[in-house]
Amino acid sequence: MALTALDIYKLLPKTNCKDCGFPTCLAFAMQMAAGKAGIDKCPPASEEAKAALGAASAPPLPRIVVGTGDRAVTLGDEVVLFRHEKTFYHPTAIAISVSDALGDEALEERLRSISALSFERVGQILAVDMVAVRFDSGDPARFAKTASASLARCGKPLLLSGTCAALAAAIREVGASRPLLRPPPGETAAGAALAAAEKLPLAVSARGIEGLAAALAAARAAGATELVADPKPADAAVAVADSIFIRRLAIVHRAQEIAYPTAFDLGQGFPRPFEAACLLLSKYASLLVLDTADPAEIFPLLTLRQNLFTDPQRPIQVDPGIYPIGKISPSSPVLITTNFSLTYFTVRSDVEAAKTPAYLLIAECDGMSVLTAWAAGKFTSESIAALLAESGISGKVDHRTLILPGMVARLSGKIEELSQWRVLVGPQESSALPSYLRRLPPAAFVPVHG
Amino acid sequence: MTVPLPKQAYPGRILPVTLPAGPGGTPVTVGGQNALSLAPEGEKPNAAAIGMEVRTGGGDLPPALAKAFECRATDPVSLAGACANDWGAQFLFLSLDGCHPDGGGQPVEEGARIVHEVLAAVSCPVIVGGCGEEETDAKLFPAVAESAGRPVFLSYADEKNYRLVGGAALAYGHGVVAWSPIDINMAKQANLLLSDLGVPPERILIDPLTGGLGYGLEYTYSIVERIRLAGLSGDAMLARPVLCHLGDAWKAREAVDASETSWGDAVLRGRRWEETTGWACLAAGADLLVFRHPGNVEAFREAAWR
Ligand code: B12
Ligand code: SF4
Repeated sequence: MALTALDIYKLLPKTNCKDCGFPTCLAFAMQMAAGKAGIDKCPPASEEAKAALGAASAPPLPRIVVGTGDRAVTLGDEVVLFRHEKTFYHPTAIAISVSDALGDEALEERLRSISALSFERVGQILAVDMVAVRFDSGDPARFAKTASASLARCGKPLLLSGTCAALAAAIREVGASRPLLRPPPGETAAGAALAAAEKLPLAVSARGIEGLAAALAAARAAGATELVADPKPADAAVAVADSIFIRRLAIVHRAQEIAYPTAFDLGQGFPRPFEAACLLLSKYASLLVLDTADPAEIFPLLTLRQNLFTDPQRPIQVDPGIYPIGKISPSSPVLITTNFSLTYFTVRSDVEAAKTPAYLLIAECDGMSVLTAWAAGKFTSESIAALLAESGISGKVDHRTLILPGMVARLSGKIEELSQWRVLVGPQESSALPSYLRRLPPAAFVPVHG
Repeated sequence: MTVPLPKQAYPGRILPVTLPAGPGGTPVTVGGQNALSLAPEGEKPNAAAIGMEVRTGGGDLPPALAKAFECRATDPVSLAGACANDWGAQFLFLSLDGCHPDGGGQPVEEGARIVHEVLAAVSCPVIVGGCGEEETDAKLFPAVAESAGRPVFLSYADEKNYRLVGGAALAYGHGVVAWSPIDINMAKQANLLLSDLGVPPERILIDPLTGGLGYGLEYTYSIVERIRLAGLSGDAMLARPVLCHLGDAWKAREAVDASETSWGDAVLRGRRWEETTGWACLAAGADLLVFRHPGNVEAFREAAWR
């Protein structure tokens, strides 16, 4: 069980010396109980207290890194059950499977389609994270060859699923890339010894939480330390229940014996894999293995992941400023919008589709959409007038005409009053911008003098 | 080794709400649980209900829906029949968007007539949605409330129009969907206002506004979780079933655009876009889900454990 603030307080020096940066020992104990501070911040603590509380201040869900370099994937290291309590930090990794029984051409084609699973949304690249190599051929040498081809072709960290003999062969080829090893349930101890010797992370598979706890203990006994837990559920319902319970055991109960990042293999005939993937993305899975490489299925899954792993306190946003689009000139139209990434990229792509070079002026609105920012008082006549005066846009164009989002038409009069600019109210939806911009007479953007 | 099963008990319980059916039809009861969705704990007497949206307005159908509807797309009455009788919808959400000034501008009487016909054609429960234009809805709801031959739910009542919609519902024995824009305080406020007006609690559903996948779903996801946690902790005004209308999923370019070939087949992608939105809402705690794609109704109904 997790220690309460009072349990922790009892072990602290109780001198309120403030070295930890908190006014009292009790305040510090409360931070520790919430997982937000560690005993290392209290220098006067006794050795017994450090020993007893060191474990309590470890992250409730350990952090496991698979792969190396920029493409390395972090699993686990989460602190809350609900994203509104803080945020989720490490997006569920998605691994697409490759069978080592594929012929050379089919393998090449499969790896090509996995590499192609990359999409741009609101300025972020969404891509699958790993390749899961399955040992179907019965030939360890072939497994090793498939693993190295996967690594070379996709450049993504590997999940290696196979017998210990196959894993050992593959490690000789790709061990330096820090793959995640996944031996079959019957070979947990041998797999753990291999992982320990090679200092590699290990996925331990066993059915159900009880079975898993025993298998994880066996893996630890064999020396493996970087563990991932796979409860081998039979269907989506069991999978999501296991996932919820493991996360609760980690975060609420601090049950270290089972507190590991989770992995679920939704391939090889797992019933209703798409449904299971959506539910497990929503509910805590650290790693999913999928057999599908169909972009029509992967794109929505990656978008769900992007949504849920966005910090609720900080929407995805772009820097405020002046964004030229196309071959701009001093007579190009000036449009204004907010710095919410979704808004910016939507408007930007519609302006691009219009093929009319233009300046897009982005206002600082804490990453809120046009109407939300207006309702929150962040996108006002005053702030827009100030931006027109201070952004430097008047040095870039020789006209003084601003196109305002149709949703905030009501701001136009006041902006004209507060600035030197004339305001044209644009369409409500930026998708109407192409026809709107085409219809605008060039006279709208004649230079002003004096 | 034994690991304790980390079951969680909550002091509160979600109020059961029944959507009444027509003669020979099956009413839909949702709510009644005292636990979060998906965790195998507590009592969950009613699975989430799966409904379908039928629209009276025209407009181009996304490729995925054009394929699934085939020739039934244009006529709301026969589409309603297909949803209820062939595709397994447990309830219908009839959107009178055809009455919107920009969506065809059907007269209010025409909207009320379609409601009447649909209610005659299907026996499942029906939620009737307004057109979204304030002035038109102010006439539409009373007309629908009066002419509907049997009890329905009216969607929606918010801070501004609750007197009108709540009043119309009370006068003719209908239920009300209380709407708020992704804000837990406003959700609570809408429920309080309807209660003060005298609408019985077992005739109110919460619609927290559902942002589609990629377009605000994360805000909805967290608001539904917070509403549910508040309800289970004992806040009676929020201990009510939540309805997620997945219509916004179809507004995403990613759900409809067939020109981006690197995104995969638009027919499958559109369906998955809505389905993904639906599973996330279910995971967050939704009790009623409104789909447009028949295949998704089937997928969710088969997941009987939900
Ligand atoms: C998600 C959301 C939120 C999120 C925030 C999202 C964000 N980062 O901004 C949260 C939940 C935090 C939120 C909060 C609030 N919200 Co809010 N929110 C929404 C929601 C559902 C979607 C907004 C969105 O993401 N739109 C997508 C983006 C791309 O749209 P957009 O920026 O407007 O851009 C479009 C157009 O404006 C146009 N456009 C944009 N730029 C330009 C530029 C030019 C030149 C042109 C021509 C066109 C153009 O094209 C774009 C694409 O169509 C809307 C309802 C809705 N369905 O629109 C309500 C909505 C905007 N919110 C509203 C309100 C009232 C609020 C709150 C005050 C209270 C509340 N919770 O509801 C708070 C305010 C925030 C605060 N005080 O902190 C109201 C605004 C009411 C009004 N009519 O003004 C809305 C309309 C809901 C409603 N119907 O009541 N909100
Ligand atoms: S540093 Fe330790 S002893 Fe000093 S106030 Fe903080 S908790 Fe108390």
